[in-house]
Amino acid sequence: MGNKESQSFRQLFMGLSIVLAGAGLIWGTILTCRGGDWIKTGFQLFTEAGAGLSLTWKLDGLTVFFLFILLLGQGLSSLYALGYLKEYQDKNKSLWPFLINWFLFLASMFGVLLADDGFTFLLSWEMMSLFSFFLVLYEHEDPQNRKSAYIYFVMTHVATVLLTTAILYLYALTGSFAFEAWAKAVPTLSTSQLNLIFLAFFIGLGTKAGFVPFHIWLPYAHSAAPSPVSALMSGVMVKVALYLFIRLVWLTLGPGPVWWGWLFLLVGALSAIVGILSASVQSDLKKLLAFSTIENVGILGIALGSAFLARSWNNSWAMNLAFVAFFWHTIQHMLFKSLLFMGAGNIIQATHTRNMERLGGLLKRMPKTGFGALIGIIGITALPPLGGFWGEFMLFQSLWVNTAHLANGWSKVFLPLSIGVLALVGGLSIATFVKWFGISFLGQARSTVAEKAKEAHPVQYITPLIVGGLAVLSVLWPSAILALINLPLSVLRTGDVLGISSALGTPLNLSSTYLILLILLTVIVIVLSKRGIRRVTATWNCGGPLTPSLQYTAGGLTNPIRVLFTKVLGSHRHVEGDFAGTQYTLRSLTYEGKLKEVFEYSFYRPAIGGLIWLSSHIRKLQAGSIHLYLAYLLVTVIVVLILGR
Amino acid sequence: MDEIFMILTRLLMGIGHLALIVVAAPLVQGLIKKSKAFWQMRQGPPILQPYRDLRKLLKKEELVSEHASWIFLLAPRIVLAGTLMAGLVIPGAWGWAPFSVWGDLFLFGASLGLVRLFLTLAGLEGAGTFGGMGSSRELFIGLLTEPALLLGLIVLAFITEATSLQGIMVGLQSVSPLDISKILALIALGMVSIAEMGRIPMDNPDTHLELTMIHEGMLLEYSGPSLALLNFAEQIKQLLLLVLLAQIIWPSGLISFSDGLLGTLWALGFIGVKVAALGFFFATVESLFVKRRLFRAPHYLATGTSSAILALISLWIIRGQI
Repeated sequence: MGNKESQSFRQLFMGLSIVLAGAGLIWGTILTCRGGDWIKTGFQLFTEAGAGLSLTWKLDGLTVFFLFILLLGQGLSSLYALGYLKEYQDKNKSLWPFLINWFLFLASMFGVLLADDGFTFLLSWEMMSLFSFFLVLYEHEDPQNRKSAYIYFVMTHVATVLLTTAILYLYALTGSFAFEAWAKAVPTLSTSQLNLIFLAFFIGLGTKAGFVPFHIWLPYAHSAAPSPVSALMSGVMVKVALYLFIRLVWLTLGPGPVWWGWLFLLVGALSAIVGILSASVQSDLKKLLAFSTIENVGILGIALGSAFLARSWNNSWAMNLAFVAFFWHTIQHMLFKSLLFMGAGNIIQATHTRNMERLGGLLKRMPKTGFGALIGIIGITALPPLGGFWGEFMLFQSLWVNTAHLANGWSKVFLPLSIGVLALVGGLSIATFVKWFGISFLGQARSTVAEKAKEAHPVQYITPLIVGGLAVLSVLWPSAILALINLPLSVLRTGDVLGISSALGTPLNLSSTYLILLILLTVIVIVLSKRGIRRVTATWNCGGPLTPSLQYTAGGLTNPIRVLFTKVLGSHRHVEGDFAGTQYTLRSLTYEGKLKEVFEYSFYRPAIGGLIWLSSHIRKLQAGSIHLYLAYLLVTVIVVLILGR
Repeated sequence: MDEIFMILTRLLMGIGHLALIVVAAPLVQGLIKKSKAFWQMRQGPPILQPYRDLRKLLKKEELVSEHASWIFLLAPRIVLAGTLMAGLVIPGAWGWAPFSVWGDLFLFGASLGLVRLFLTLAGLEGAGTFGGMGSSRELFIGLLTEPALLLGLIVLAFITEATSLQGIMVGLQSVSPLDISKILALIALGMVSIAEMGRIPMDNPDTHLELTMIHEGMLLEYSGPSLALLNFAEQIKQLLLLVLLAQIIWPSGLISFSDGLLGTLWALGFIGVKVAALGFFFATVESLFVKRRLFRAPHYLATGTSSAILALISLWIIRGQI
């Protein structure tokens, strides 16, 4: 494929993707604005009698919400990819694998969202896994990327095995693949059957969502993929898995016992803490973002848990709050994580390194990318005035209301503790993203590649700025987002529930007031303090010359966290000094720091080791002797005869 | 017409609330300095010295590091604005907060978080070691204070069944001053406040010794008006925390115009006395203890967090709900 041809294909395909997304968004908005019963009951497509024999699809309010996220994510990351792919084209790398898989990946996510029966769901789910695997593998020249893609492939298939089992089990119990038929049959199932199905769904979907301890693939895959793909995977694909939690667990399996809610809450809290702790000590630009995705999925898990608990305690107020928080945070995380991955992509293309220890001072060289990234970090750290905070704000309140309305029990202690967990996660995420932004964009350049960095292609910095603009808009005009959130809520609402407009409209309109007041105050302070002269000088360094190596490093900035949480992070450090004679004359010092993936080492490695050990013992059965095999045949015949007696 | 009048009154009262905070903050700083001087048997600077310092700094020439970007100059402005935003949810002398809404207690900590984000970014701007050192430590201590702060406030919210700080302060009036969960929550908040104010044993506001400073480390590159703004923001934050603690210990309740001019003035004097007494108390604490090593900070703040958790448990036990 020639360079010229490649360029026109890139523009054609990505342009098509953007136009499709835009058209879908506009058409969908018009359609939903008209309203109608289908939002609640669902609008079935191509459905014939006897679900399970054909592929069936359904569109309802819940789907519409996630379709919105998918289309928005598709439009934004396609726009970004338009610029990002130019580098591959310049390197004469074939774009076909990317372009084709990009479309198939998007299409399969549509399939998952629209699927109305177990078979259709599994089919599109597998396609989604497969095409995202190909996209992760796009830069296959790097062996590290091949390894990442492989881990992703294995983990996602372990998950699919569980999902398939659960779906076949449900089919065996109900004789149908249709979600509706399952929902009807659920009350007839025994508790243990229900629990088994729930656990299979939980692990299967939780793996894709990135819940700890099934998260190990996520940091590899999301960081190995090209940046537009990372944005799509972190921003959208993870949300698709969460959508299925609502579709399959909340709507189909029903309320379930209380411990389901607790499981979501605990796993969510664990994911949030482990995710952000691991993120805080990373010095790889994209791996840090991937770990932060785990944190955010954890926060969403806590929201789901709060909703489940509220449902079993008949607390409709808390349930509504939790769901508004869930959907709000879903949108906000999609926006901010896409933005940050785009920023990271720009840095990587400008410097060809993902290692923060080699960056620095980029804000002066890439001002527009930097400005977008600054908006991103304020949003992702859940700080006001941006949207990340207002989601957590609702979540806090949901947890509070849930606790306050509970008659008694230890739950009244554990629920507020998750507020404490969220606070700790908030503090850690500030540290993480100050590091991400501060080390890469501020200070001096730590290497020549950072010194020579140039601002990215205009499309590549305009797209993040558009995302940032959307994020600000969502805070200024929260009622639009609330109207969108109302769609899935009208599906999820069972029985009489307080309307969201009165109880929830006010706190979120607070967001625009807060933003405007903050900007106003800042402007006032700027105007009032504008006097005197400014002079540019050297940084004070006790009189000595200031070299780039005197700056704090990425590792150093969050080292206190690493020291405090040594055990959790699996941190190892080894310092060796080369002394000349006495211990006061140091010739050189070597420092070696390592972070082990705790879950990988303490859970997956032993599991894999056990599996290999087991299979090596089973292999003894296959000794290769014909006499032995004849004996097996004989034994089999006898056993069959006895059984079939 | 009535509505416009209402909004205007609210706006004016809000501006008055902020103006009071802005005017009183340096005074409180002066008082604390004076109290410390008292314990050190020194004369100490006059109480009005912080005002003079700010005025002097505002007039001075400003030096900007050659490595710094626009965030360096933006940060002090946002830090001050963010601190004032935190001030909007704290009920002032008349028990009234301009930004009082359902759940605003979360806004307080979050606004301070925004301040922390920009402060720590500013610390990295100069490309020097001291700024980075300050930022690194500030982030570390910040993440440890956050759970204690939020849990402490949450317990108070459960005691009074309100999630706005104004509602909490009104509700606390009917709670016995010796309520065990309230006292435990207060201990948690007090310990957090010391860390947030950057005082001993967490940080030493009076030193510029490279190895110990946290807050000052981030400010090292600043001079002139920007330094004035940052110092001012720190003073405001200190005042806010003192007011918050004072209102929890001796809630004064809502006072409106119907109480007459004398009533409102008396409330102003009352809060002044409360804050002054608390300021003196913290100055005493600072004179009695020494600064701790950074890696002892988790122990200290874990104590705060655990007393907040204990407060929560004791609250439900006393109410017979566990």
